[in-house]
Formats: sequence, C-alpha cells, structure tokens
Amino acid sequence: MRLKITFLFTMMIAWTSAIWAHPVSYKDAIGLMSYNTPQMNEVLLTYSLSPQFAVAATYLRDSKSEFYIPRANFLLKRWNKDDSQANIYLSAGAGYEKFNTKNYGARLAELVADWESRKYYIYFDHLYINRDNEDNALLKEKDYNHSKFRVGTAPFLADYEDLNVWLILQAEKHLNESQIEMTQFLRFYMKNTLWEVGARFDGGWAFNYMVHF
Amino acid sequence: MKQVAVTIIILFSALFAVAGEELKVGVKGMVCAFCAQGIEKKFKAEPEIEKVKVSLENKFVLLTFKDGKNLTKEKIKEILKDAGYEANFDEKSPEPIKESDKKPSTEKK
Repeated sequence: MRLKITFLFTMMIAWTSAIWAHPVSYKDAIGLMSYNTPQMNEVLLTYSLSPQFAVAATYLRDSKSEFYIPRANFLLKRWNKDDSQANIYLSAGAGYEKFNTKNYGARLAELVADWESRKYYIYFDHLYINRDNEDNALLKEKDYNHSKFRVGTAPFLADYEDLNVWLILQAEKHLNESQIEMTQFLRFYMKNTLWEVGARFDGGWAFNYMVHF
Repeated sequence: MKQVAVTIIILFSALFAVAGEELKVGVKGMVCAFCAQGIEKKFKAEPEIEKVKVSLENKFVLLTFKDGKNLTKEKIKEILKDAGYEANFDEKSPEPIKESDKKPSTEKK
C-alpha cells in the first residue's frame, strides 16, 4: 500500500507542471497571471488563503480545446536565504475541456520549482492534464504534458520602486512532440506588476502578464 | 506678546516634528518586487504603523510607528511569516540607513 502511494505521488510529481513562478503568494493576496503565444493562452487566477495554500482557477486554450479547471495550489517548501529564495509548488485540480460545443472531463496536476536571487533566476515547471476527450484531432493524446525551463539574469540591480529588467531564456516542450521551442524574453516588473515580451527563435511571439493585489 | 506667540508656534512645530519610533527589520528571502509588495502591504494593514520603507538592496524593512505605538518582535515575525518570509533581527544590515532610505516609500493614508 505504502509503495503504491509512493508510486502515485512520484508519478504526480513527475507529471505536474506550472507556468508561473508564484502560484501561492502572501495571505489574502489575489494573483492574476496570463501566458500567451499564437498557439496557446493561459489565464490563472489565484487567491492565497495562507502563504502555503491558494485556491485558483485555470483557463487554458490549446489546439481548439478550452480547459476550465478549478485547482488548489500548495507551497510544498520554501527556502528563505539572506540573498536568495527557492520554492517548490504543487497544484492539482479537476474541471472540464470544451471542444466543439461538447464538454469532457479533465484533471490537472502541476509542479513548479524555482530559485532566484536579485541577479539570477532558474525556473522549471511541468503541466499535466489528463483528458477524457478523444475527438480533437489536434490533441490526440489523452495525457497533455507541457514542460518549461528558464534561466534569467538582471543586467542591473533595481530596488523596489524602480523598474526591474530581466533577460530570460526559455526552453519549452510538449512531451508528445519532438521539437523544443526556444524563446528569449525581456521581463519588466515594478511593484506588483510584471510583464514579459518574448520572441521565439522560430519567429513566433509571446506575451506574459502577472499582477498581485 | 509677539515673542510669546512665536515661542508657542515653535513649540507646536517641534511637537509635530517628532517622528515616531523607527525599527529596521532584516528580511530573509526578500529578493524581488513581488516579495517587497506583500511585505509592505502586510505592515501597512497594522494600525500601529505610520510609514513603511522597503529596501531590496539592503534586505530590510524600515518601520515607523505612530507616536506611542509599537509592535513586538513576535508580532513582526508573525506578519512576515504571513507574507511568506522570515524576520532577521540578529544580523545587522550590511549598510547603515542612509538619509535617502528614510524617505518612506509609502505613507499610510
């Protein structure tokens, strides 16, 4: 029994993914995050009940399917150091996929791990969605997997009220596809608002947005 | 009579010029503007707080209390914990507070 639970947990960790660095914030914080490319849009709305737990809802559009998934986000571990911070987040949820006016069941799990200082940033996420829909020819696999890895650096150090600028390189992969998509980002943030503009190496674009209230 | 009036005005001005007590608290893990924003918001919600100044560069939050008011270290630790961070009372800030640091980033309204 214990082996089975360990196996399921390990699989969950292996499958999960996330697109955003901070799916849980300070107590009573509301977060709105949006990730956009020509092929895909994601919006995540979170409300943090504590620094360790947030309730949230995901909207995701990809390949003519739309996912609406309520979810719970957990901060599994945070390391607060003098000059850096590292986090591991885990999310799980269940909702539905809308395709051609029909609704199908969908379940989500997501893992985020990050480390950042004022100068450097490393980020990994993996998103897994288990789907009941077998009708979308553009999304044939019942298991939707999407991974991202990012590294970033700040060319100059800015304080809280200043405009912070980061240079970020991102690699992302849908596990059922062979290609790895590379995107370079310029990230700007100031106080409670962050936005990123990206240019893919193959010519596409990306725009991300994040705000905490 | 004129001298008495001037003296009273000066005394009143001096009374209002007295700033509340200040406390500088080191914060572990505060590396980004989002971190600072949460910490600032949490402290601003406290009725004892007059002003909050966050310095990412020096990793501290400078609290100015209302006259006669204060927060215990335990309460400050709790507020920072709610924001997801850790208070650091033991270590001295790498740099002393500059005059420019004392200018509040936010004044409670």
